[in-house]
Amino acid sequence: MFNVKISLFARTRDLEHTIDRLHDKIIEMTVEFREAVDIYLKEKRSDNYRKTSKKIKTIEHDSDVLRRDIESRLYEQNLIPDLRGNILQLVENLDRVVNLFDEVAHKFYIEQPDVPEVYHEQLKTLVKQVSDCAENMAIASRAFFRDLPTLRDYSQKVYLLEKQSDKTSAKLRKAIFDSDLELARKNQLNVFVHEVADIADLAEDCIDALLIFAIKREI
Amino acid sequence: MFEYLLFLSSGLFLGWSLGANDSANIFGTAVGTKMLKFTTAAIIASVFIVLGAVISGQNTTETLNALGGVNTLPAGFAVSLAAALAVRVMLKSGISVSISQTIVGAIIGWNVYNHQETDSQTLINILSCWVMCPVVSGLIAVSLYLLVKKILHCSKLHILWQDFIVRQGMILTTALGGFALGANNMADVVGVFVGSCAFSDASFGGVINLSGIQVLFLIGAIAVSVGVFTYSKKVISTVGKGVLTFSPVVAWIVILSQSLVLILFSSEGLESFLISIGLPPLPAVPVSSTQAVIGAIVGIGLAKGGKEIRWSLVGKLVCGWVTSPLMAFILSYILLSFMENVFRQPVIAIM
Repeated sequence: MFNVKISLFARTRDLEHTIDRLHDKIIEMTVEFREAVDIYLKEKRSDNYRKTSKKIKTIEHDSDVLRRDIESRLYEQNLIPDLRGNILQLVENLDRVVNLFDEVAHKFYIEQPDVPEVYHEQLKTLVKQVSDCAENMAIASRAFFRDLPTLRDYSQKVYLLEKQSDKTSAKLRKAIFDSDLELARKNQLNVFVHEVADIADLAEDCIDALLIFAIKREI
Repeated sequence: MFEYLLFLSSGLFLGWSLGANDSANIFGTAVGTKMLKFTTAAIIASVFIVLGAVISGQNTTETLNALGGVNTLPAGFAVSLAAALAVRVMLKSGISVSISQTIVGAIIGWNVYNHQETDSQTLINILSCWVMCPVVSGLIAVSLYLLVKKILHCSKLHILWQDFIVRQGMILTTALGGFALGANNMADVVGVFVGSCAFSDASFGGVINLSGIQVLFLIGAIAVSVGVFTYSKKVISTVGKGVLTFSPVVAWIVILSQSLVLILFSSEGLESFLISIGLPPLPAVPVSSTQAVIGAIVGIGLAKGGKEIRWSLVGKLVCGWVTSPLMAFILSYILLSFMENVFRQPVIAIM
């Protein structure tokens, strides 16, 4: 009986660390993504970009492993039965955000869009807003697990940053279509801007669900 | 002895009903929310029901015997059967039923049938405890709810650790609830057979020595445990749908409050202590675990702002106060009449 308790204690502590590591990965991803776009705008598909892109791929892979580990342990150890479904959905949502970061970074690598210098600052602003939005989503998600009252503060930040990123992306896309670029380039840049902005939208969706789960978690 | 066991069968049937229905109040939410396995919960509850019955079961029996001293075996059989049948009928009609309340109605039925005076002071004590039970349970639940909420807010405990602690808490509460049920409600099951107890003292390996009455309570507790194992799972799955709307933390607070209330109303030591410090005593009276649970749920509902309270529960509770003893009273009167006039059995001992 004592051994069972020790083992349950150790397993709970391990899973707590795994969940924390998943949140760490998201925050790491936001930093790497910003750096990757900065490098791309300066150097295009350089070795430096290749390295950063590889780091992003590794983070995405690691977070996949962590997600699967959390999901299987929650079921195998029959933990948090009342909220298990919600937590699985939350972990899936977080993973979708990580995947989208990876997809966009990879798309830069494959398609090598030629972004005119005049749009660099706006694109960097958009990437910063989107990264901050995802970072706050990760912090809000962490708060869901251990500090429910602060969840609302971070959620509010996510909503504000998503709104700002929408405005920035709309401005940028308008500027692109108002320019004299070829239609094919306009379309390509438009898709890129759209996909970067989608990350913030996905983070916002994640927070919407999280706030519902939080109502259920309140005692 | 055979005759004694035959007449005791109605008490054992009542015990089985108690185990089948009231154990859902002890560990129903723990099993329903999948925090504990049914077998684990049933074993823990049964062991502690037996301990509660044997160690503290006699305290509430004295109150019931003060209300009416059913003193023949056939009368005990009829009174117990009346209570058991009233429980079945009330459960079918969906009204909150308490075995404690039906047995009181049935005992008063015996008093009236035999033209015995009902001790009004004891009756007032019992009736006031029925009202106090959900109120005290509600007060305890609200205090625990606010305390736990504050602790969770300040401690910033990870959800996994909350789950871990609640799980361990539910194991302890199942044990406490089992003990409380055995201590408080065993008088309902075998209390009317105490006056005609045919068991002699027993010793188990020279270590555990039980009086004849404790042996009677042990047998009653075993009947309750059989009810726990054979039928409570079905009751839990039926009533679980309503209970599962709580979070495990709230469910745990509800069970803990209910267990504490049952212990408060079973402890003669506490009664003497409250009198000694000049406070109104909580007499050792069998109370309803179901109504203690309803009191706790309503209390927490009020603490949350009152929007989530299902007032129909309160209606059922008040309705149960009147209808349960009334139905048992009528059935007891009819069965005693049958016992005396059809089966020619004595329903009162001439002193």
